[in-house]
Amino acid sequence: MREIEIDAGSMVPRDLNRAVKQAAKEYDKIIIKNPNAMHYMVAGLTDEVEILIDGSAGYFAGTMIDGANIHITGNAGWFPADNMTAGEVIVDGAAGDGVGQGIYGGTVVVRRNVGSRTGEIMKNGTIIIGGNSGFMSGLFMMGGRIIVLGDISDDAGESIIRGAIYVMGDIKSLGKNAKIVEVDEEDKEELKKLLPAYGFDLEEEKYSKFRKIVPRSKRPFYGGKESEEG
Amino acid sequence: MCGIAGVVFKDRKLHPVGEIMTRMLDALQHRGPDSAGFSIYGGLGLGENEYLLNIEVKEKSGLIEQVKKIVNTVTPIEKEEIIPSVENYNIYRCKIALNSFDELKPLIMDIDKIDDVIVLNGSHSFEMIKDVGSVKEIADRYDTYSKMGTHAIGHTRFSTESIVDRYHAHPFQSYITPDITVVHNGQITNYWKIRDPLERKGHIFETNNDTECIVHYIANKIYEGYKLEEALEQSIIDMDGPFSYIVGTPNGVGIAKDQLGLRPGVLAENDEVFAIASEEVSLRAVMDTHEIDQISPGESRAYTI
Repeated sequence: MREIEIDAGSMVPRDLNRAVKQAAKEYDKIIIKNPNAMHYMVAGLTDEVEILIDGSAGYFAGTMIDGANIHITGNAGWFPADNMTAGEVIVDGAAGDGVGQGIYGGTVVVRRNVGSRTGEIMKNGTIIIGGNSGFMSGLFMMGGRIIVLGDISDDAGESIIRGAIYVMGDIKSLGKNAKIVEVDEEDKEELKKLLPAYGFDLEEEKYSKFRKIVPRSKRPFYGGKESEEG
Repeated sequence: MCGIAGVVFKDRKLHPVGEIMTRMLDALQHRGPDSAGFSIYGGLGLGENEYLLNIEVKEKSGLIEQVKKIVNTVTPIEKEEIIPSVENYNIYRCKIALNSFDELKPLIMDIDKIDDVIVLNGSHSFEMIKDVGSVKEIADRYDTYSKMGTHAIGHTRFSTESIVDRYHAHPFQSYITPDITVVHNGQITNYWKIRDPLERKGHIFETNNDTECIVHYIANKIYEGYKLEEALEQSIIDMDGPFSYIVGTPNGVGIAKDQLGLRPGVLAENDEVFAIASEEVSLRAVMDTHEIDQISPGESRAYTI
Protein backbone atom coordinates (compact mmCIF):
# COMPACT_ATOMS: atom_id res chain seq x y z
CA MET A 1 0.00 0.00 0.00
CA ARG A 2 1.39 3.39 -0.96
CA GLU A 3 1.03 5.87 1.92
CA ILE A 4 1.69 9.57 2.28
CA GLU A 5 1.52 11.98 5.20
CA ILE A 6 0.33 15.54 4.76
CA ASP A 7 0.93 18.04 7.57
CA ALA A 8 -2.12 20.31 7.69
CA GLY A 9 -0.67 22.41 10.50
CA SER A 10 0.22 25.40 8.38
CA MET A 11 -2.34 24.94 5.59
CA VAL A 12 -5.68 26.53 4.82
CA PRO A 13 -8.53 24.20 3.76
CA ARG A 14 -8.19 24.96 0.05
CA ASP A 15 -4.48 24.12 0.02
CA LEU A 16 -5.02 20.96 2.04
CA ASN A 17 -7.81 19.75 -0.23
CA ARG A 18 -5.70 20.42 -3.33
CA ALA A 19 -2.86 18.42 -1.76
CA VAL A 20 -5.23 15.56 -0.85
CA LYS A 21 -6.74 15.43 -4.34
CA GLN A 22 -3.28 15.37 -5.89
CA ALA A 23 -2.06 12.66 -3.51
CA ALA A 24 -5.18 10.56 -4.10
CA LYS A 25 -4.08 10.00 -7.68
CA GLU A 26 -0.80 8.38 -6.60
CA TYR A 27 -1.37 6.92 -3.15
CA ASP A 28 -3.75 4.41 -1.55
CA LYS A 29 -3.68 5.94 1.93
CA ILE A 30 -3.34 9.57 2.96
CA ILE A 31 -2.63 10.48 6.59
CA ILE A 32 -3.52 14.05 7.54
CA LYS A 33 -1.48 15.17 10.54
CA ASN A 34 -2.25 18.22 12.72
CA PRO A 35 -5.78 18.75 11.38
CA ASN A 36 -6.61 20.98 14.38
CA ALA A 37 -10.39 20.84 13.73
CA MET A 38 -10.03 22.48 10.31
CA HIS A 39 -13.25 22.95 8.32
CA TYR A 40 -14.06 21.40 4.90
CA MET A 41 -11.35 18.76 5.03
CA VAL A 42 -11.41 16.30 2.11
CA ALA A 43 -14.33 18.15 0.50
CA GLY A 44 -15.45 16.81 -2.85
CA LEU A 45 -12.92 14.00 -3.16
CA THR A 46 -14.10 11.48 -5.78
CA ASP A 47 -11.22 8.98 -5.56
CA GLU A 48 -11.68 5.72 -3.68
CA VAL A 49 -8.80 6.27 -1.31
CA GLU A 50 -8.24 5.70 2.39
CA ILE A 51 -7.88 8.86 4.48
CA LEU A 52 -6.80 9.00 8.12
CA ILE A 53 -7.42 12.33 9.83
CA ASP A 54 -5.18 12.14 12.88
CA GLY A 55 -7.14 14.36 15.28
CA SER A 56 -10.36 16.37 15.13
CA ALA A 57 -12.14 17.77 12.09
CA GLY A 58 -14.21 20.95 11.89
CA TYR A 59 -17.37 21.52 9.84
CA PHE A 60 -18.26 19.57 6.67
CA ALA A 61 -15.53 16.92 6.97
CA GLY A 62 -15.79 14.67 3.91
CA THR A 63 -18.60 16.67 2.34
CA MET A 64 -19.62 15.37 -1.10
CA ILE A 65 -17.11 12.52 -1.19
CA ASP A 66 -17.77 9.68 -3.60
CA GLY A 67 -16.06 6.51 -2.49
CA ALA A 68 -13.32 7.57 -0.07
CA ASN A 69 -12.98 5.92 3.33
CA ILE A 70 -12.30 8.59 5.94
CA HIS A 71 -11.33 7.78 9.51
CA ILE A 72 -11.28 10.69 11.98
CA THR A 73 -9.53 9.75 15.22
CA GLY A 74 -10.86 12.76 17.18
CA ASN A 75 -14.18 14.61 16.98
CA ALA A 76 -16.02 16.17 14.07
CA GLY A 77 -17.91 19.47 13.98
CA TRP A 78 -21.17 20.15 12.16
CA PHE A 79 -22.25 18.21 9.04
CA PRO A 80 -19.63 15.46 8.70
CA ALA A 81 -20.15 13.50 5.44
CA ASP A 82 -22.69 16.06 4.21
CA ASN A 83 -24.18 14.95 0.87
CA MET A 84 -21.75 12.08 0.36
CA THR A 85 -22.71 9.67 -2.39
CA ALA A 86 -20.51 6.67 -1.51
CA GLY A 87 -17.74 5.70 0.89
CA GLU A 88 -17.34 5.82 4.66
CA VAL A 89 -16.78 8.48 7.27
CA ILE A 90 -15.91 7.06 10.68
CA VAL A 91 -15.50 9.35 13.69
CA ASP A 92 -13.94 7.86 16.82
CA GLY A 93 -15.11 10.70 19.05
CA ALA A 94 -18.23 12.87 19.14
CA ALA A 95 -19.75 15.06 16.42
CA GLY A 96 -21.89 18.16 16.12
CA ASP A 97 -25.17 18.83 14.37
CA GLY A 98 -26.28 17.43 11.03
CA VAL A 99 -24.22 14.23 10.93
CA GLY A 100 -24.74 12.68 7.48
CA GLN A 101 -26.92 15.56 6.31
CA GLY A 102 -28.41 14.79 2.89
CA ILE A 103 -26.31 11.72 2.14
CA TYR A 104 -27.17 9.74 -0.98
CA GLY A 105 -25.23 6.64 0.00
CA GLY A 106 -22.30 5.28 1.98
CA THR A 107 -21.94 4.89 5.73
CA VAL A 108 -21.28 7.38 8.51
CA VAL A 109 -20.28 6.13 11.95
CA VAL A 110 -19.84 8.29 15.05
CA ARG A 111 -18.79 6.30 18.11
CA ARG A 112 -19.90 8.81 20.77
CA ASN A 113 -22.71 11.38 21.08
CA VAL A 114 -23.81 13.68 18.29
CA GLY A 115 -25.74 16.95 18.16
CA SER A 116 -29.08 17.73 16.55
CA ARG A 117 -30.72 16.90 13.21
CA THR A 118 -28.69 13.77 12.52
CA GLY A 119 -29.42 12.50 9.00
CA GLU A 120 -31.62 15.44 8.04
CA ILE A 121 -32.88 15.17 4.45
CA MET A 122 -30.77 12.04 3.86
CA LYS A 123 -31.86 10.16 0.77
CA ASN A 124 -30.13 6.85 1.29
CA GLY A 125 -27.13 5.32 3.03
CA THR A 126 -26.51 4.43 6.66
CA ILE A 127 -25.71 6.45 9.77
CA ILE A 128 -24.65 4.71 12.99
CA ILE A 129 -24.40 6.66 16.24
CA GLY A 130 -22.71 4.88 19.14
CA GLY A 131 -24.04 7.34 21.76
CA ASN A 132 -27.01 9.70 21.89
CA SER A 133 -28.48 11.69 19.05
CA GLY A 134 -30.09 15.11 19.55
CA PHE A 135 -33.14 17.10 18.63
CA MET A 136 -35.02 16.38 15.34
CA SER A 137 -32.84 13.46 14.29
CA GLY A 138 -34.03 12.22 10.89
CA LEU A 139 -35.61 15.58 10.02
CA PHE A 140 -37.26 15.29 6.60
CA MET A 141 -35.48 11.97 6.06
CA MET A 142 -36.16 10.73 2.54
CA GLY A 143 -34.61 7.27 2.77
CA GLY A 144 -31.82 5.15 4.23
CA ARG A 145 -31.38 4.17 7.85
CA ILE A 146 -30.15 5.72 11.06
CA ILE A 147 -29.12 3.48 13.96
CA VAL A 148 -28.77 5.08 17.40
CA LEU A 149 -27.33 2.90 20.16
CA GLY A 150 -28.02 5.48 22.87
CA ASP A 151 -31.02 7.76 23.39
CA ILE A 152 -32.69 9.96 20.83
CA SER A 153 -33.96 13.39 21.84
CA ASP A 154 -37.13 15.38 21.09
CA ASP A 155 -39.07 15.27 17.82
CA ALA A 156 -37.31 12.20 16.45
CA GLY A 157 -38.15 11.62 12.80
CA GLU A 158 -39.72 15.06 12.36
CA SER A 159 -41.52 15.04 8.98
CA ILE A 160 -39.86 11.76 7.98
CA ILE A 161 -40.97 10.68 4.50
CA ARG A 162 -39.12 7.40 3.93
CA GLY A 163 -36.43 5.34 5.63
CA ALA A 164 -36.11 4.10 9.21
CA ILE A 165 -34.50 5.12 12.48
CA TYR A 166 -33.51 2.28 14.82
CA VAL A 167 -33.11 3.31 18.46
CA MET A 168 -31.80 1.08 21.25
CA GLY A 169 -32.20 3.63 24.06
CA ASP A 170 -35.00 6.00 25.00
CA ILE A 171 -37.06 7.96 22.49
CA LYS A 172 -37.87 11.29 24.15
CA SER A 173 -40.60 12.28 21.72
CA LEU A 174 -41.61 11.82 18.12
CA GLY A 175 -41.86 14.48 15.43
CA LYS A 176 -44.76 14.98 13.05
CA ASN A 177 -45.43 12.02 10.75
CA ALA A 178 -43.27 9.66 12.82
CA LYS A 179 -44.45 6.48 14.52
CA ILE A 180 -42.78 3.67 16.42
CA VAL A 181 -42.99 0.05 15.34
CA GLU A 182 -41.38 -3.01 16.86
CA VAL A 183 -38.38 -4.46 15.07
CA ASP A 184 -38.99 -7.79 13.33
CA GLU A 185 -36.56 -10.65 12.71
CA GLU A 186 -35.54 -9.21 9.38
CA ASP A 187 -34.61 -5.91 11.05
CA LYS A 188 -32.63 -7.72 13.73
CA GLU A 189 -30.71 -9.73 11.15
CA GLU A 190 -29.90 -6.54 9.27
CA LEU A 191 -28.57 -4.93 12.45
CA LYS A 192 -26.61 -8.05 13.42
CA LYS A 193 -24.84 -7.97 10.10
CA LEU A 194 -24.19 -4.26 10.14
CA LEU A 195 -23.15 -3.31 13.68
CA PRO A 196 -20.31 -5.80 14.35
CA ALA A 197 -18.76 -4.78 11.03
CA TYR A 198 -18.15 -1.38 12.61
CA GLY A 199 -16.98 -2.65 15.99
CA PHE A 200 -20.30 -2.51 17.84
CA ASP A 201 -20.52 -5.98 19.39
CA LEU A 202 -23.86 -6.17 21.16
CA GLU A 203 -25.16 -9.04 23.25
CA GLU A 204 -27.93 -11.00 21.56
CA GLU A 205 -30.67 -9.69 23.89
CA LYS A 206 -29.85 -6.09 23.08
CA TYR A 207 -31.09 -6.49 19.53
CA SER A 208 -34.58 -6.96 20.98
CA LYS A 209 -34.34 -3.55 22.66
CA PHE A 210 -34.32 -1.69 19.35
CA ARG A 211 -37.41 0.15 18.26
CA LYS A 212 -37.94 1.47 14.79
CA ILE A 213 -39.21 4.93 13.85
CA VAL A 214 -40.88 5.03 10.46
CA PRO A 215 -43.16 7.47 8.61
CA ARG A 216 -46.88 7.39 9.18
CA SER A 217 -47.45 8.55 5.63
CA LYS A 218 -45.41 9.34 2.54
CA ARG A 219 -47.59 12.38 1.92
CA PRO A 220 -48.01 14.02 5.30
CA PHE A 221 -48.54 17.57 4.05
CA TYR A 222 -50.97 17.06 1.21
CA GLY A 223 -53.03 14.32 -0.32
CA GLY A 224 -55.66 12.26 1.40
CA LYS A 225 -55.74 9.93 4.34
CA GLU A 226 -52.84 9.46 6.70
CA SER A 227 -52.20 5.98 5.34
CA GLU A 228 -52.15 7.03 1.70
CA GLU A 229 -49.12 5.40 0.08
CA GLY A 230 -47.69 4.97 3.52
CA MET B 1 -21.63 34.12 11.54
CA CYS B 2 -19.49 35.40 14.48
CA GLY B 3 -17.34 33.45 16.89
CA ILE B 4 -17.78 33.45 20.66
CA ALA B 5 -15.63 32.08 23.45
CA GLY B 6 -15.44 32.03 27.23
CA VAL B 7 -13.02 30.60 29.77
CA VAL B 8 -12.97 30.34 33.57
CA PHE B 9 -10.12 29.18 35.79
CA LYS B 10 -11.73 27.38 38.68
CA ASP B 11 -9.02 28.14 41.27
CA ARG B 12 -9.97 31.88 41.26
CA LYS B 13 -6.30 32.76 40.84
CA LEU B 14 -4.88 35.03 38.18
CA HIS B 15 -3.92 33.35 34.93
CA PRO B 16 -2.82 34.73 31.55
CA VAL B 17 -6.43 34.77 30.30
CA GLY B 18 -5.66 37.64 27.91
CA GLU B 19 -3.20 35.48 26.03
CA ILE B 20 -5.48 32.44 26.25
CA MET B 21 -8.52 34.34 24.97
CA THR B 22 -6.40 35.80 22.17
CA ARG B 23 -5.57 32.25 21.06
CA MET B 24 -9.20 31.14 21.42
CA LEU B 25 -10.40 34.05 19.30
CA ASP B 26 -7.63 33.73 16.73
CA ALA B 27 -8.83 30.15 16.21
CA LEU B 28 -12.28 31.61 15.47
CA GLN B 29 -11.03 34.36 13.17
CA HIS B 30 -12.64 32.69 10.14
CA ARG B 31 -16.06 33.19 11.77
CA GLY B 32 -15.80 36.97 11.74
CA PRO B 33 -13.28 39.35 10.18
CA ASP B 34 -14.86 42.72 11.03
CA SER B 35 -13.95 43.33 14.65
CA ALA B 36 -13.07 41.51 17.83
CA GLY B 37 -13.32 42.06 21.53
CA PHE B 38 -12.50 40.84 25.00
CA SER B 39 -13.85 41.16 28.54
CA ILE B 40 -11.06 40.10 30.86
CA TYR B 41 -12.28 39.73 34.43
CA GLY B 42 -10.48 39.72 37.74
CA GLY B 43 -7.14 41.29 36.89
CA LEU B 44 -7.77 45.02 36.99
CA GLY B 45 -7.09 45.37 40.70
CA LEU B 46 -9.12 48.54 41.11
CA GLY B 47 -10.00 49.79 44.57
CA GLU B 48 -13.55 50.06 45.86
CA ASN B 49 -15.59 52.49 43.73
CA GLU B 50 -12.75 52.85 41.24
CA TYR B 51 -13.60 52.52 37.55
CA LEU B 52 -11.78 52.33 34.25
CA LEU B 53 -13.26 54.28 31.32
CA ASN B 54 -12.45 53.41 27.71
CA ILE B 55 -13.32 56.34 25.49
CA GLU B 56 -13.06 56.55 21.71
CA VAL B 57 -11.86 60.03 20.73
CA LYS B 58 -11.30 61.29 17.19
CA GLU B 59 -7.89 62.83 16.50
CA LYS B 60 -8.91 66.45 16.74
CA SER B 61 -7.31 69.31 18.56
CA GLY B 62 -8.68 69.88 22.08
CA LEU B 63 -11.08 66.93 22.06
CA ILE B 64 -9.35 64.90 24.77
CA GLU B 65 -9.18 68.04 26.91
CA GLN B 66 -12.97 68.39 26.57
CA VAL B 67 -13.38 64.81 27.79
CA LYS B 68 -11.04 65.41 30.73
CA LYS B 69 -12.91 68.57 31.66
CA ILE B 70 -16.21 66.71 31.93
CA VAL B 71 -14.67 63.87 33.91
CA ASN B 72 -12.88 66.26 36.23
CA THR B 73 -16.09 68.08 37.05
CA VAL B 74 -17.36 64.82 38.56
CA THR B 75 -14.17 63.29 39.91
CA PRO B 76 -10.43 63.78 39.49
CA ILE B 77 -8.69 61.61 36.92
CA GLU B 78 -6.35 59.31 38.84
CA LYS B 79 -4.47 57.80 35.91
CA GLU B 80 -4.70 58.10 32.14
CA GLU B 81 -3.37 56.56 28.96
CA ILE B 82 -3.84 57.15 25.23
CA ILE B 83 -3.80 54.14 22.94
CA PRO B 84 -3.62 54.92 19.21
CA SER B 85 -6.22 53.03 17.20
CA VAL B 86 -7.04 53.14 13.48
CA GLU B 87 -8.89 55.59 11.20
CA ASN B 88 -7.80 58.73 13.09
CA TYR B 89 -9.11 57.57 16.43
CA ASN B 90 -7.45 57.16 19.80
CA ILE B 91 -8.65 55.30 22.84
CA TYR B 92 -8.42 57.50 25.90
CA ARG B 93 -8.35 55.43 29.07
CA CYS B 94 -8.68 56.88 32.51
CA LYS B 95 -9.05 55.60 36.03
CA ILE B 96 -11.49 57.43 38.26
CA ALA B 97 -13.23 57.02 41.61
CA LEU B 98 -16.97 57.56 42.10
CA ASN B 99 -19.12 57.70 45.17
CA SER B 100 -21.23 54.85 43.85
CA PHE B 101 -21.88 52.75 40.74
CA ASP B 102 -25.04 54.83 40.11
CA GLU B 103 -22.84 57.78 39.08
CA LEU B 104 -21.16 55.84 36.27
CA LYS B 105 -23.89 55.81 33.60
CA PRO B 106 -24.76 59.54 33.97
CA LEU B 107 -21.06 60.41 33.59
CA ILE B 108 -20.84 58.22 30.48
CA MET B 109 -23.91 59.93 29.01
CA ASP B 110 -22.38 63.36 29.63
CA ILE B 111 -19.15 62.38 27.88
CA ASP B 112 -21.11 60.89 24.97
CA LYS B 113 -22.64 64.33 24.29
CA ILE B 114 -19.29 65.52 22.88
CA ASP B 115 -19.17 65.17 19.09
CA ASP B 116 -16.72 62.54 17.82
CA VAL B 117 -16.42 61.01 21.27
CA ILE B 118 -18.07 57.84 22.54
CA VAL B 119 -17.49 55.88 25.72
CA LEU B 120 -16.85 52.28 24.80
CA ASN B 121 -17.30 51.09 28.35
CA GLY B 122 -16.79 51.77 32.03
CA SER B 123 -15.90 48.91 34.33
CA HIS B 124 -14.79 47.99 37.80
CA SER B 125 -13.90 44.29 37.78
CA PHE B 126 -13.02 43.68 34.16
CA GLU B 127 -11.11 45.21 31.30
CA MET B 128 -12.88 45.56 27.98
CA ILE B 129 -10.83 45.65 24.81
CA LYS B 130 -12.63 45.87 21.50
CA ASP B 131 -11.79 47.34 18.13
CA VAL B 132 -12.11 46.87 14.39
CA GLY B 133 -9.65 44.57 12.65
CA SER B 134 -8.35 41.08 13.15
CA VAL B 135 -7.78 39.41 16.50
CA LYS B 136 -4.00 39.57 16.11
CA GLU B 137 -4.06 43.24 15.12
CA ILE B 138 -6.18 44.11 18.14
CA ALA B 139 -4.10 41.88 20.42
CA ASP B 140 -0.93 43.70 19.33
CA ARG B 141 -2.59 47.13 19.57
CA TYR B 142 -3.74 46.59 23.16
CA ASP B 143 -1.21 43.97 24.30
CA THR B 144 -3.88 41.49 25.31
CA TYR B 145 -1.10 38.92 25.78
CA SER B 146 -0.04 40.55 29.05
CA LYS B 147 -3.51 40.69 30.63
CA MET B 148 -4.02 38.53 33.68
CA GLY B 149 -7.40 37.49 35.07
CA THR B 150 -9.63 34.76 36.44
CA HIS B 151 -11.99 34.48 33.48
CA ALA B 152 -12.79 36.08 30.15
CA ILE B 153 -15.19 36.16 27.23
CA GLY B 154 -14.48 37.17 23.65
CA HIS B 155 -15.86 37.61 20.16
CA THR B 156 -14.99 37.75 16.48
CA ARG B 157 -17.63 39.65 14.54
CA PHE B 158 -19.18 39.02 11.14
CA SER B 159 -21.51 41.97 10.93
CA THR B 160 -25.07 41.31 9.74
CA GLU B 161 -27.44 43.67 11.52
CA SER B 162 -25.57 46.87 12.28
CA ILE B 163 -22.58 48.90 11.26
CA VAL B 164 -18.96 47.89 11.67
CA ASP B 165 -17.23 50.17 14.11
CA ARG B 166 -15.48 50.04 17.43
CA TYR B 167 -18.61 50.71 19.45
CA HIS B 168 -20.64 47.95 17.77
CA ALA B 169 -17.86 45.42 18.30
CA HIS B 170 -18.71 42.93 21.03
CA PRO B 171 -18.71 42.60 24.02
CA PHE B 172 -21.63 44.84 24.90
CA GLN B 173 -22.03 46.03 28.47
CA SER B 174 -25.05 46.96 30.56
CA TYR B 175 -25.03 49.44 33.44
CA ILE B 176 -28.21 48.09 35.04
CA THR B 177 -25.95 46.14 37.36
CA PRO B 178 -22.14 46.28 37.44
CA ASP B 179 -19.89 44.55 34.97
CA ILE B 180 -22.22 42.35 32.93
CA THR B 181 -21.04 41.79 29.36
CA VAL B 182 -22.28 39.69 26.45
CA VAL B 183 -20.85 38.30 23.22
CA HIS B 184 -23.33 36.90 20.72
CA ASN B 185 -23.60 34.84 17.56
CA GLY B 186 -27.05 35.11 15.99
CA GLN B 187 -30.15 37.25 15.76
CA ILE B 188 -32.90 38.02 18.28
CA THR B 189 -36.02 38.14 16.13
CA ASN B 190 -38.41 39.34 18.86
CA TYR B 191 -36.04 42.20 19.66
CA TRP B 192 -38.71 44.84 20.27
CA LYS B 193 -40.73 42.51 22.47
CA ILE B 194 -37.65 42.14 24.70
CA ARG B 195 -36.59 45.78 24.49
CA ASP B 196 -39.95 47.42 25.17
CA PRO B 197 -40.47 46.22 28.77
CA LEU B 198 -36.85 47.02 29.62
CA GLU B 199 -37.26 50.58 28.34
CA ARG B 200 -40.49 50.92 30.30
CA LYS B 201 -38.42 50.16 33.40
CA GLY B 202 -36.17 53.08 32.48
CA HIS B 203 -33.25 51.19 31.03
CA ILE B 204 -31.47 53.11 28.29
CA PHE B 205 -30.64 51.59 24.91
CA GLU B 206 -27.80 53.25 23.00
CA THR B 207 -28.14 51.24 19.77
CA ASN B 208 -30.60 49.06 17.84
CA ASN B 209 -28.20 46.15 18.12
CA ASP B 210 -29.76 42.94 19.41
CA THR B 211 -26.67 42.09 21.47
CA GLU B 212 -27.20 45.24 23.50
CA CYS B 213 -30.75 44.00 24.07
CA ILE B 214 -29.45 40.67 25.42
CA VAL B 215 -27.00 42.28 27.82
CA HIS B 216 -29.68 44.58 29.27
CA TYR B 217 -32.09 41.64 29.55
CA ILE B 218 -29.54 39.51 31.45
CA ALA B 219 -28.35 42.42 33.62
CA ASN B 220 -31.96 43.23 34.50
CA LYS B 221 -32.63 39.62 35.50
CA ILE B 222 -29.51 39.56 37.69
CA TYR B 223 -30.54 42.92 39.17
CA GLU B 224 -33.91 41.37 40.00
CA GLY B 225 -32.22 38.54 41.89
CA TYR B 226 -31.86 35.81 39.30
CA LYS B 227 -28.70 33.74 39.41
CA LEU B 228 -26.75 33.67 36.15
CA GLU B 229 -27.97 30.13 35.43
CA GLU B 230 -31.59 31.16 36.02
CA ALA B 231 -31.28 34.25 33.85
CA LEU B 232 -29.86 32.18 31.01
CA GLU B 233 -32.63 29.58 31.29
CA GLN B 234 -35.34 32.23 31.26
CA SER B 235 -33.75 34.01 28.30
CA ILE B 236 -34.04 30.88 26.18
CA ILE B 237 -37.78 30.86 26.87
CA ASP B 238 -38.23 34.58 26.27
CA MET B 239 -36.05 35.13 23.21
CA ASP B 240 -36.82 34.05 19.65
CA GLY B 241 -34.38 33.57 16.82
CA PRO B 242 -31.17 31.70 16.15
CA PHE B 243 -28.60 32.49 18.83
CA SER B 244 -25.76 31.35 20.99
CA TYR B 245 -24.43 33.90 23.41
CA ILE B 246 -21.96 34.01 26.27
CA VAL B 247 -22.41 36.18 29.34
CA GLY B 248 -19.56 37.38 31.51
CA THR B 249 -20.16 38.47 35.10
CA PRO B 250 -17.73 39.37 37.88
CA ASN B 251 -18.03 35.77 39.08
CA GLY B 252 -18.20 33.61 36.00
CA VAL B 253 -19.40 32.92 32.49
CA GLY B 254 -22.37 31.15 30.94
CA ILE B 255 -23.74 30.22 27.54
CA ALA B 256 -27.31 29.96 26.21
CA LYS B 257 -28.42 28.42 22.94
CA ASP B 258 -31.74 28.84 21.12
CA GLN B 259 -34.40 26.17 21.26
CA LEU B 260 -33.84 25.01 17.69
CA GLY B 261 -30.07 24.87 18.14
CA LEU B 262 -29.38 26.99 15.09
CA ARG B 263 -26.08 28.42 16.30
CA PRO B 264 -23.16 26.36 17.55
CA GLY B 265 -21.76 25.97 21.03
CA VAL B 266 -19.29 23.45 22.46
CA LEU B 267 -17.89 22.97 25.93
CA ALA B 268 -14.85 21.34 27.50
CA GLU B 269 -14.14 21.12 31.18
CA ASN B 270 -11.57 19.61 33.51
CA ASP B 271 -10.62 20.14 37.16
CA GLU B 272 -8.92 23.43 36.36
CA VAL B 273 -10.78 25.04 33.48
CA PHE B 274 -14.32 25.54 32.14
CA ALA B 275 -14.26 26.61 28.49
CA ILE B 276 -17.01 27.30 25.95
CA ALA B 277 -16.82 28.39 22.33
CA SER B 278 -18.41 28.29 18.91
CA GLU B 279 -16.05 25.56 17.73
CA GLU B 280 -13.77 22.87 19.09
CA VAL B 281 -10.74 24.49 17.49
CA SER B 282 -11.11 27.36 19.96
CA LEU B 283 -11.35 25.05 22.97
CA ARG B 284 -8.17 23.35 21.87
CA ALA B 285 -6.40 26.66 22.35
CA VAL B 286 -6.98 26.32 26.09
CA MET B 287 -6.93 22.58 26.76
CA ASP B 288 -5.66 19.49 25.01
CA THR B 289 -8.70 17.25 25.08
CA HIS B 290 -10.98 15.42 22.72
CA GLU B 291 -13.75 15.30 25.36
CA ILE B 292 -16.03 17.93 23.86
CA ASP B 293 -19.73 18.41 24.74
CA GLN B 294 -22.16 19.89 22.27
CA ILE B 295 -24.48 22.46 23.86
CA SER B 296 -27.94 21.11 23.02
CA PRO B 297 -30.79 23.18 21.58
CA GLY B 298 -32.40 25.16 24.38
CA GLU B 299 -29.58 24.37 26.79
CA SER B 300 -27.61 26.74 28.98
CA ARG B 301 -24.41 26.08 30.90
CA ALA B 302 -22.57 28.30 33.34
CA TYR B 303 -19.67 28.24 35.75
CA THR B 304 -19.28 30.68 38.61
CA ILE B 305 -16.27 31.01 40.91
